[in-house]
Amino acid sequence: MNTVKDSKYSALELIAVRKQYGDHTALDGVSLNVPEASIFGLLGPNGAGKTTLIRMVAGITGPDSGSISFFGKSLTSEHINEVGYLPEERGLYKNMRVGEQAMYFARLRGMSKAVARKELLDWFERLEVDGWWNREVSDLSKGMAQKIQFIVAVIHKPKFLILDEPLSGFDPINAARIRKEIIRLRDEYGTTILLSTHDMSSVDELCDHVALINHGRKILDGPVDSLREKARAGKIDLIFRGNLISFTAALGSGAVLHSANSTGDNVHEVVLGLPESIPIEKFLKWVTTEVDVLSCSPQSVSMDDVFLRAVQDSGANKIEQS
Amino acid sequence: MNRWLIVVGREFKTRVRKRAFIIATLLGPILMVGAIVVIAFLAEQATHSDAKVLFVDHNNLITYSLSGSEGVRIPSCTECFSERSFLEYRFTNQALTTEEFIDSDFTAMLELDDGIMQSAKAVLQYEVAPSIRVTSAIKRDLGEAVERLRVKNESSLDYETYKRLKVRIGLVTQDIVTQDKNVQHKTGVGFAFAMFMFMFIMIYGMHVMRGVIEEKSNRIVEVVISVIKPEHLMSAKMVGIGLVGLTQIFVWSLLSWILFIAFGFYAESSGLLVNLMSEQGTQVAATDFSSFLEASDDLNVLMQIDWFMMVGWGAFFYVAGFALYASLFAAIGAAVESEADAQYLLLPAMLPLMFSYMVNMMILESPESMLATVCSFIPFTSPITMMIRLSVGVPWWHVLISALILVVTVYIMIKMAGKVYRTGILMYGKKPTLREMFRWLIYKN
Repeated sequence: MNTVKDSKYSALELIAVRKQYGDHTALDGVSLNVPEASIFGLLGPNGAGKTTLIRMVAGITGPDSGSISFFGKSLTSEHINEVGYLPEERGLYKNMRVGEQAMYFARLRGMSKAVARKELLDWFERLEVDGWWNREVSDLSKGMAQKIQFIVAVIHKPKFLILDEPLSGFDPINAARIRKEIIRLRDEYGTTILLSTHDMSSVDELCDHVALINHGRKILDGPVDSLREKARAGKIDLIFRGNLISFTAALGSGAVLHSANSTGDNVHEVVLGLPESIPIEKFLKWVTTEVDVLSCSPQSVSMDDVFLRAVQDSGANKIEQS
Repeated sequence: MNRWLIVVGREFKTRVRKRAFIIATLLGPILMVGAIVVIAFLAEQATHSDAKVLFVDHNNLITYSLSGSEGVRIPSCTECFSERSFLEYRFTNQALTTEEFIDSDFTAMLELDDGIMQSAKAVLQYEVAPSIRVTSAIKRDLGEAVERLRVKNESSLDYETYKRLKVRIGLVTQDIVTQDKNVQHKTGVGFAFAMFMFMFIMIYGMHVMRGVIEEKSNRIVEVVISVIKPEHLMSAKMVGIGLVGLTQIFVWSLLSWILFIAFGFYAESSGLLVNLMSEQGTQVAATDFSSFLEASDDLNVLMQIDWFMMVGWGAFFYVAGFALYASLFAAIGAAVESEADAQYLLLPAMLPLMFSYMVNMMILESPESMLATVCSFIPFTSPITMMIRLSVGVPWWHVLISALILVVTVYIMIKMAGKVYRTGILMYGKKPTLREMFRWLIYKN
């Protein structure tokens, strides 16, 4: 597969990264290129190696071999303050108050007390958790706690933000709000965001680029639009009234019939693959002479389909999709 | 470094300002003294269920009959059986049958015959078990009565002369080199230090483990170790929590000292001192508290103990012992995901601690035995057993070597625990076996 090369600068570049835990190969030569100021979806079934990859970028572990460069420089501990990290299944300290806890994490990311406080209060207001500063963490609802965790991850205005399942646990209204904030971070601050998720609808809505890894290998990556286009591969959905057998015979060798489904009353739904040499307009002109066309549209492909197909194509039968 | 201090600060602050900690720290010494007073008071109360004892003097040894009243007898020595608020005597020479005794309002029945003159033994039967206070009063009273009888029967002395001649030896033990007296009392002080050591290492070691488990289970650890190395996080946690323990030790020492001094002032000014001394029969007429302590056989140990050395070495052995066990507990906490899972790993880690606690009981008896010496060099037991040896006096180079061994072991343990910790905190979903944990020691990061 091709590595994305459509952005001038890459925020993060992994080249042939390998990581081994005992006998288990967590990452087997993965190369990635995350363009600056984009939202990059990191997809893959459970146990694919996403967490390992994220932990490397977050500076928790290093690769056994291969290189990771961060805005053109080799990733080192100097970049700590430029990375924000929201882990999966996260929580908060129970024995601290909300504001104090947020201050703690902000200061760990190198912010001064005064600046941290001001920025935090802004964020608290924006996400409507103001008034919770002095409350106990145990008083927070799950959604509230998630908001605080999100704030804590982004408070130091990181150039690079890692979000692992950022929307899980939110109700639809708050999920929409966080989604908006993620987009705002990219558009206003130029933050590069690495988003790991199983939630395909948020990939469809948020991501500019995606990479799919399975069994420690990258099996697919690229801009979301072109991946969809590729997955569609010239397929069209066609519904017509007429004789299926004579229709098939008339198709000849030009187009491929992927599937056919009769809905009765001589109506058939078929999925066709057209070679690039036949534009859809020409095909339509021809087909209307043979059968009574009720509807014809390019096949709609969601990232879900892209994901499933790629995993299946890569020969993995053990998909634990959650 | 700055981040490390921020972590230390958090670990320290969040624990020190907890209500439970503040109460325990401020009230600890007061509560301990209070508990002793309450126990003493309750023990007093418990004996207030009055005893009524029937003496059955079969051979009319210590009683005579008052003409006219059948069966009722009077003790020959009335002052022997003085009146007590909690104890009442009746005398007879006819034993009651079991049924009669149960029906009567006597709580106990004591039968004696000629045999007591030789065996000095009597049988006390009871319906309600008598308290120690009651039995010791009976023993004292009957003993005096029998003694008087024996003096009268077997010598020409009168009882007052006999009493004056009778000798009771008070043994003062003294170390010939240090001139220290009553070392066994000092052992008690050392034992108290050792108990506190055990308690603090245990409590704050568990704090470390729980803290590690909390951070791991809520994934905060991932955020923190993305800014600070796992080994540094572990050490910051241990230092922060260790300081909490030191704070408590410091406040307790200070408060105990203040309480002690305050009690001294109170005793001096209220006349309690004079009462105490007349009760103890102390010959020296001490007017101030310290000379009172000096004069008391039981309490002069408080003046002889080298408190600065005890507290100084105590602080060192606490810090080192805590570091040793806390790093072990941190590694265990990192390996598991919940406290319940930690149980099977905790047992082997706590065994040496438990062992030193038990060994202490034996060492208390003989602080200069081989067992004590050996255990005071083994790093896993030395923080606890060395305290007893320190209290009775120990060659300085013993302490120094023991301290060196401990420091080296602590260094190695922290290194090893750091490796287990660093691997463990990022592992989810399975309980590691001890073997796997050993394998983590050689993992590269």
